[in-house]
Formats: sequence, structure tokens, C-alpha cells
Amino acid sequence: MTNRGRSPDPQAIARNLLGSLGIYRVIDGIHRVGAAIGAPVSAGFKRFETRVDAGIGRRRLGFILLGLIILYFLWFPNDTSQSNYAKTVFISGFFYAIMSSSWALLAGIAGQFSFGHMAFMGIGAYVAGLIARDGIVFALLGVNVTPESISAVGAIILGTAAAGLVGLVIGWLLLRLRSAYLALFTIAFSELFRIMMLTEYDYTGGSNGLSLRPLLEIADVNTARQVEYYLMFGLLILCLLALYWVANSPIGLFLRAMREDEDAASALGVNVVRYKILVFVFTSMIVGFAGAIFYSDVGSERIIPEQLEILQMSLIIAYAVIGGMESLIGAAAGAFISRYMLEAMRQVVISLPFGMTTHDGSDAFVWDTGYWRFALFGVVMVFTLRYMRNGLLFPIITWFGGRDIAMKETVSKRESDDEHAARLEADDE
Amino acid sequence: MSEINLELNQVSRRFGGLQAVDHVSFNVTKPELIGMIGPNGAGKTTLTNLMSGMLKPSSGTIYLNGRRIDGHPPYDVTRAGLGRTFQITRALGRMSVLENMLVPGLAHNPRASKVDLTERAHEILTLLTIDHLTNELSRALSGGQRKLLELGRLLMLDPAVIILDEPFAGVHPRLQDTITNYIYRVHDNGKAIIFISHNMGAVFELSERLIVLHHGAVIADGDPQTVRSDPAVIDAYLGHDEDD
Repeated sequence: MTNRGRSPDPQAIARNLLGSLGIYRVIDGIHRVGAAIGAPVSAGFKRFETRVDAGIGRRRLGFILLGLIILYFLWFPNDTSQSNYAKTVFISGFFYAIMSSSWALLAGIAGQFSFGHMAFMGIGAYVAGLIARDGIVFALLGVNVTPESISAVGAIILGTAAAGLVGLVIGWLLLRLRSAYLALFTIAFSELFRIMMLTEYDYTGGSNGLSLRPLLEIADVNTARQVEYYLMFGLLILCLLALYWVANSPIGLFLRAMREDEDAASALGVNVVRYKILVFVFTSMIVGFAGAIFYSDVGSERIIPEQLEILQMSLIIAYAVIGGMESLIGAAAGAFISRYMLEAMRQVVISLPFGMTTHDGSDAFVWDTGYWRFALFGVVMVFTLRYMRNGLLFPIITWFGGRDIAMKETVSKRESDDEHAARLEADDE
Repeated sequence: MSEINLELNQVSRRFGGLQAVDHVSFNVTKPELIGMIGPNGAGKTTLTNLMSGMLKPSSGTIYLNGRRIDGHPPYDVTRAGLGRTFQITRALGRMSVLENMLVPGLAHNPRASKVDLTERAHEILTLLTIDHLTNELSRALSGGQRKLLELGRLLMLDPAVIILDEPFAGVHPRLQDTITNYIYRVHDNGKAIIFISHNMGAVFELSERLIVLHHGAVIADGDPQTVRSDPAVIDAYLGHDEDD
């Protein structure tokens, strides 16, 4: 078809214009450079892949790498070039890894999209702190716990128990609630708890927060940091082992069945009431325990209600989403890396080359990012949700043959009813 | 052969002003193939939901092998020995076909060895001609294959009574044959099967006993030939209901 007698095609004009400016040549050039770099890289990766498959195997290689990472973390505090500040960043990274991975079990595996995770953590910390300060009377048992008679460990255990108990009640209240309703309910619960802590300032310290009884009493700051580091790292490993043990047991299978379809799971004999409550109690106790320890002057000297804000809870969720909501180790790694990056990006320093200087004579641009780092973090999350719903670490975990995300679909094997029937008919003959 | 004694006494269910199920009583005491038919809105699915624990009856009682099951949660009813499928299939989408089979297996007996259950699952999937899909996500299955998977999951539970809600609806004719074979096979193993269907051909071909529901009430219950000539049935259902 010709264009004669018609108005000129605007697209054609644009193409000609761009062509005469040499834009296409530039784009083509970029493609060629990309291909020139990309081809050998991907070929090299293919070679590496076949060698791994023929040799030690991906799974074993994955475990070796994991072992090396753990060894690195064990060695890190002995690195004298690292400041105590860096250790503090790591300690809080471990804490948030516990938060995100346990949330991944609750939301990613069991399908209970809860916003109450931070509140359960807060219950653990606040109850431990209040009991250590004021003591508690168990009237029914006839036991009177005085502040003098209870140790920091005892207070932490009671805080954990309290978080579990509230988890039991909340889990029971949530039995008939699903998806959006469950999320709204837990937001309300979480805000309720935060506002209570804020309002009852005579008792809880209000916005000044509450100091818990220090778990460790080590005078030397360097030694203290080191012990705190190992304590929190040990706790993370312990929590991950517990979470994996649950996720890989029949309970984990039932939790996933519940996530997919509660009614169907129930019709298949899964006691959904029991497992829904169980997963709330279990994850509440984990975060209650971690919170009580973290705020017992291990990672932070006091718990403040600001920590329990929805924004903080959203960050936990964001870490898990970025790492991979349905993978426990993915969520933990997502949290740790995100925390580390958010800390590292507080100040961005760009050194200028060739002896150039800025207007005030320094040889580097210094950008105090402030809240901009959260904006960038938001961009990462948007990208993850749009293009990599299983998390940024998903390709890596699946490459190593991680089993905890069975999300791969082999579409090539899909078969319609007609094809299935045709195959059966062919078999009949 | 396991014990079979399902007993419905005057089971009713109201939804506001609608009497969905109206004083239904019948017994199943032997491994029978029971067809349940009725025009749209006759209360077939509601009755299934009442028997399987998804709904509580407004009045009346249901006993299975001497145990009262009405008002009990579905998992309890399932463990008591009554399994069901859904009219609209409910595969556990992001779990593999094998995992779909292991859920009821382990729920039925948490101490069972995974190896044994997997072996059993393979046998059942082979019978249902979907063994080649064992490690696929169940959401990748076609509509008919999902129906087959639901039937397979029931066998992992080893129930005494099975209720199939529209097992043939929307399924390719050749796969319907597979389902029919399945029904005969399960029946031969001494289980009672109640199946709801709009496919009259299949109902009359398969069933040894026919229960007809109309406006929530049982209007006929007996062998298919007698029921077919029952004037009440002809009037209410086969005669002039244009839906079917």
C-alpha cells in the first residue's frame, strides 16, 4: 500500500529524523557492545555450569558457599580494621533477619499476611522490661516474682511467653479472617499496642522508651560488642534452624496447603484451626524472644514505641519481599543486605578524578542522603514486585537447587484436556 | 471392607427465608453407587456441604459409623471417613501434584513414612493417568486433570464414603471414561459413593440407587428404574424443567 494522497506518516518522519541524527547507529553500537561483552560472559557461565554439574553439583556448592558465608560472619568481629559501629550495624542486621525470616514463614509459607509482627516483638521486649523493673505476681500459682529475684534471662523467658500467649489469642481471633481483613485487623492490633505504650507513659516511659535489664554486663566496650555480635548471630542461626525445621516438616506442608486454600485443606483432613494458631504462637514467640534479647542492651539499650510504627513493620515486609517472601533464607538475606545498604548509603561520597575539586575545594562530592535512601529502597521494592515477585535472590537460590521455593513452572509440559485425551486414545490402540 | 453407616435424620438448612435443605433423611449402609440428581437449586451442593462439615445444619443429625458428625469441622468429618470433591476444583495451585497428594496422606496419618505415601500416590496417579505430572505445580494442570487430581487426593484419605460433586462437569469425554473407571474401581474396593451429576446418561448408567432432590426435599429414593417412572420425579424434574 502506498502513502500517496494521504497525510504523511508522523512515525516515518520521526524515524527519518532520528536516522539522520545517527541515533540508530548509536543504539546499534550499544547493542553490539552489549553482545560483545555478554556473549563470552554467558558462554563462560554455561561452561561453569556444566563443570559444576559434572563435578561437585550445585547443591553441594551452595552448601559450601553458605558455609563460607557463615565462616566470614564468625570471623568478622576479629577483623581489627572494623569499627564497633560496623559491628553494631551487623548486630541489627541479624535482628532484622530474624524478624523478616519469621515473617516469611507466617506470610509467605502459611499465607497469613500479618502486620502484627513488630507488635509481638514489642510485647516480648516490654513485658521483659516491665517484669525486670516491677516484678510480677502469679496469683493463681501463688508465686511472687520480685525484681530482685528475677534475672535478665528469666525476664526474657517471661517476655517470650507473653508474646506467645498474645499470639495464641490473636491467632484465635483471626481464625475466620482472610487476606485484607487479616492485614487490617493486625494493623489495628499493632497500633493499639503502640498507642498503649505511648499513652501509659508513667508506667512504660512513653516516647522515651523503656530500658530493659542488661543481659550482658561487660565493662570493656570492645569485648562487649564482640559478645553481643556472637549472641545475635547465634540467635539468627538458631531461629533459622527452627524455622526450617517447621517448614520442612509435615506442618510446613499443611501450612502451605492452608495458604493455597483453607477450605480445601480442611476437606483434606488438615486441622486448619490448630495450624493457624500454631503458626501465630510459634512466630510470635520467636520475635518476642529476639526482641527481648535485642533490647536487653544487646543491640539497643531501650525499646521505644516508635519502633512499633507501621512504617517499621512495612520495612520488615519490604526486606522479606526483596529477598523472597517464600524463602526463609532469602528473607533473612534480604533483611541483612537491605539493612547494610541503608546504613552504607547514609552518606554517599563520590571522589572526583583528575585532581578536580568542588567549589569549596574538596576533592569529593558528599551527599547526605537522609530519607532519599528510603526512596531508592522503594524503587528497588517496586522493581522486585513488578519483575521478580519471588525476590531478587530467587534466581540464585533456584540455581543452587533450593527446595524451599517450588515455584518453577515447566510450561512446556502443559497439556490441555484434548491433548491428554488424545494421548490416552493413542495408548488404547 | 471398612464399616459403612451414614445416617441422615431430618437434616434441614435455611438461608434466611430460603429452605435450601428440607428434612432430608436417608441411610447408606453398604458400598453402593448412589446418584444424586435434582434441578438447579434443588439443594444438592448444600446437602454435600452439610454432610462434609462445611455448613452446619439448622436442625437434624448426621451420624457416620456411630459418630455424630453434623456441625463438626470438615477436617474432623474427613478423618471420620467421609471425603468429598468440589464442583469447582480446588487444587492447591502452587504446590506440586505430589504435594497435593501428600497433604491428605499426612493429615490422615502424620506418622506415615513419606516414602510409603509417595509410592501410594504414584500408584493412584498412574490409575488416574496423570502420573507424568507428579512434579508439576498443580496450577499447570488442565481442568479435567484437576478433577482427576481431586479424585486422587480422596483416595489418599481412604474414606468409607465418598461424595463427588459434579465429577464429569466440563471434562473431556475420554477423561470422563477415566473418571468412570475410577468410580467403579473405588466401588469395588468396598466404598460407598454418592455422586452428583447433571449428566443423566452417566447417572443412569452408573448408579445402583438414585436419590432425587427437589426444593431441598427428597422426592424419590430407590433403584433407578423405579425412580425413572415415579410420577413425582417426572413432574418435578424430568418432565418439564427446561434447565436440564
